[in-house]
Amino acid sequence: MSQTDSQAPALPGGPDQTDGQPRALPGRPDQSSRPARPRRPARPARAPRTGKPVASTLAVAGYVVMIVPILFVVATAFTGGRTLTFPPQGLSLQWFEKAVAYEPFTGALVSSLQLAVLATLIALAVGVPVTLAIHRGRLPGRGLIEGMFLSPLIVPELVVGLALYQQLMIGFGLANSTTLLIGHTALMMPYAVRVTGASLALADPSLEEAARGLGAGPVRAFFTVTLPMLRPGIFSAALLSFVTSFNNVPLSLLLQSRDFRTLPVTMLDYVQQSYDPMVAAMATLILVATVVVAVVAERTVGFAQIFGGINK
Amino acid sequence: MRPVAQPVAPPPRLPCPALVGAAAGVVGAPVRPSYPDRHERLVVTTRKTALLLLLPGLAFLLVGFLVPSLAMLVAPPGVGTGEVVARVGQMLTDPYDLRIIGRTVGLGLVVTVVCIVLGFPIAYLLARSTSRWSSVLLALAIFPLLLSNVVRTFGWLVVLGSQGAIGKLLVGLGLVDRAPQLLYTELAIVLGLTQLFLPLAIISCYSAVAQVDAGLDDAARGLGASRSRTFWGIVVPLSSPGIVVAATLVFAGSVTAYTTPYLLGGSSQRMLSTQLFSYSSVTIDWAGASATALVMTVLVFVVSGLASLVARKGATQ
Repeated sequence: MSQTDSQAPALPGGPDQTDGQPRALPGRPDQSSRPARPRRPARPARAPRTGKPVASTLAVAGYVVMIVPILFVVATAFTGGRTLTFPPQGLSLQWFEKAVAYEPFTGALVSSLQLAVLATLIALAVGVPVTLAIHRGRLPGRGLIEGMFLSPLIVPELVVGLALYQQLMIGFGLANSTTLLIGHTALMMPYAVRVTGASLALADPSLEEAARGLGAGPVRAFFTVTLPMLRPGIFSAALLSFVTSFNNVPLSLLLQSRDFRTLPVTMLDYVQQSYDPMVAAMATLILVATVVVAVVAERTVGFAQIFGGINK
Repeated sequence: MRPVAQPVAPPPRLPCPALVGAAAGVVGAPVRPSYPDRHERLVVTTRKTALLLLLPGLAFLLVGFLVPSLAMLVAPPGVGTGEVVARVGQMLTDPYDLRIIGRTVGLGLVVTVVCIVLGFPIAYLLARSTSRWSSVLLALAIFPLLLSNVVRTFGWLVVLGSQGAIGKLLVGLGLVDRAPQLLYTELAIVLGLTQLFLPLAIISCYSAVAQVDAGLDDAARGLGASRSRTFWGIVVPLSSPGIVVAATLVFAGSVTAYTTPYLLGGSSQRMLSTQLFSYSSVTIDWAGASATALVMTVLVFVVSGLASLVARKGATQ
């Protein structure tokens, strides 16, 4: 990064933020030449891209790091060659055909989908009542209870994975699929609690009160009044949980068996064994599915709402 | 497309209960008058009901997380607590282990700095932009969070590999005779982790910058401050809580990430996470695994705790 911003008044500790048209602050030499004009037009007319070369350069670099490697995955997936080289040799769909016919991938895809759906449903089924208890239950130590239910987010997932592998699979002899389901559910619960909790905090309690006052029992009031108000939160939580569970590596890593394997871990193992573009093809298919999910999410709740609440 | 609406919930996930509690104070706590009889009318009527509602979740939390984690950390099978503690002591003195810890922390710090340096400008430009493209660019910055880490990291194999794009390009330009070793280096890990955690940094910074009234920028500019002075004197200090959160999230993520160090660092650039896997799956050294897990967990807790202290100090000032 350049250190060339000599004109701007130095603020302690800050490197430069060159703005392209440095002004000498005290003198303002151009003031006399064009007197009664505002220094710049009103805000909406401000051109956002001009005059911030350092910020813009850094921003472009950031986008390149985030996006370009993904484009390379797609490009290599269509190669006609046999290895992961760039530029791809010829154009073909051969690796897509191989990927969708490769049993370890398809089997793992089914397992991963089952796991993600079940873990999400269970996490919501047990997480939403927890949210209700926290926000409506008037329990002592509310913050502590909430913190406890959010705690799976702080402990490294790899550590939790090791714990479940050692204690539940080896210690108690649980099947790895059961262990995965328990672990994923415990890990997804914070999403349910936090995201639906944010919805519940915004929901007006007087609506519930009105329903109760008009004679609805607590159960009926919950299903007809509270639950509909929670819908955006539940949708966001479900989407986040599903995606997080489906993509998870660290927690699932040690909890694999020959019969029940998850897709990301299977792909990781495959990359380690052979250096061919089949993983690129599978990755491209996942990318397409993720784009579909993202578009649905943006259309229904909006990205910012979903990730504003919680993110991983 | 209209600019993305303000998030409903407090900005980003906060990696520490204290932090979470602090944030919940802002949005999480419903502001409602405390009529003595009011709770009678809500869906959860009694404390007993509330406890019943907590039970199933609590069961999953205990069985699927708390009890196994504690048991693994303090008493792995066939290993005493003392042995784990001794192993931690060994790790903190052994040069090989220290190098792994140093690499993990060092790369974590580098990635954190890079993510803030790249992410904050993106957040700033997006939050202050009036262009209709800004919501598309924001979506593009958030989208990678939905995408599998394996898919995202895999891209770097294609870019950095010996047959990869950069190597071919350098050779093609005649700059080097042979593609340089880029994969399985610390640089590769930093690039991979930056790609992974930049979206997190952007979101945290974005919600912080968006909360800084753009009118303050205008006021500073109107009073004669340069753009850079406005940026460093107004925008950065006022959005510093978001920067702290971003840094914490990125650091905690970086020192615990597995996929990226595994694929891009290999066995030559061991980090705590890959070492942990090796102990628990290759050598089956439970004491070593627990000790590594303990070091990793303490590292994350300490950093989150520090961040929450900083946040609290900032809040009381």
